[in-house]
Amino acid sequence: MFLVLVSCLVNTLLAFFGQENLGIYLIINIICFLVLTLIFTPANPRVKKQFNILNMIFFTGFLVIVIIEFADIISR
Amino acid sequence: MVFSEKQISYGIRQVKNQYKKLGTGLCITGIIIGLISYFVIGSVPLTAVGISAIMIGMTCIVLACTHPSLSPQVYQLMLITGLENTTVLLDGLGLSDKAVYIPSTMGNGYQQALIPLEGNVEMNLIKEKIPDRLIVRYGQNPEDRAISVTTPGSICLDRFETVPGPTADEIETAVNYILSEVLDIADSASVILVNDKVYVAVSNPKLIFEDSCYYQYLGSPIASIIAAISSEALGRPIRISEEILEKKLSTITLEVLL
Repeated sequence: MFLVLVSCLVNTLLAFFGQENLGIYLIINIICFLVLTLIFTPANPRVKKQFNILNMIFFTGFLVIVIIEFADIISR
Repeated sequence: MVFSEKQISYGIRQVKNQYKKLGTGLCITGIIIGLISYFVIGSVPLTAVGISAIMIGMTCIVLACTHPSLSPQVYQLMLITGLENTTVLLDGLGLSDKAVYIPSTMGNGYQQALIPLEGNVEMNLIKEKIPDRLIVRYGQNPEDRAISVTTPGSICLDRFETVPGPTADEIETAVNYILSEVLDIADSASVILVNDKVYVAVSNPKLIFEDSCYYQYLGSPIASIIAAISSEALGRPIRISEEILEKKLSTITLEVLL
């Protein structure tokens, strides 16, 4: 539920402030996802394992976006 | 055994997971919204909404995968059967006193509770390790016998990698970890250790149970868990001396023996 609320809030605020870079949207959404799953994942080992896989996927995506943005800044 | 069509359809309905449906729906919707927004409309905020929907959908699918394969009703059935049998056994023996939670070091490697068959358990009589049996002898006299049972708290101790220390802070951390994080049966707990008494306040206990003979001897499940953790942490036997159960705040007083 928190993830839905935070996603709505982040996207609305970024759109309100006229952000047009998709990378920024992705980075902030992924950071929110990682933080929320870290706080609210139950202590059940099975649940943790499943969420760790999902976190790894999103963190890889986050790194890819950061590298692309970094390469873009360097190339300017 | 032949199942009727109604029973089969009921079983299938039980297995079907709403989370998986919701997650798949969100993922598909997110992909469609994302692609149309990015390539057709050319709107970045709408594309971000599509991507967020995919992320929420994937979270729902992961939650569906962690859903237990058996329904909670099956676990409840097994639990009630076990409790009923134990209650009949304890009731039939005409026991007179409350259980004493002994640490694993005094037992056979795991935490257990002793319910004396006659009178109180005199802890100074326990010289040897309590054997792994139902009826155990803890002293030299013929009447020094007790029923040895495993409690909900005994099972919870397996969750700890290391035994919590004997301070109030460490016991409080361990109790909070089990009650609020692992089992989610209370919001929080605070522990005060004064001389040979442990005072525990549990806020918002969520576990509802029937006041049966079983709980009169062993205490409520929450009290049992706290007694087991405290006994293991202090390395001393513990008896639940008082339990005041209220909706918002339960207070449990434990007596440290020996």
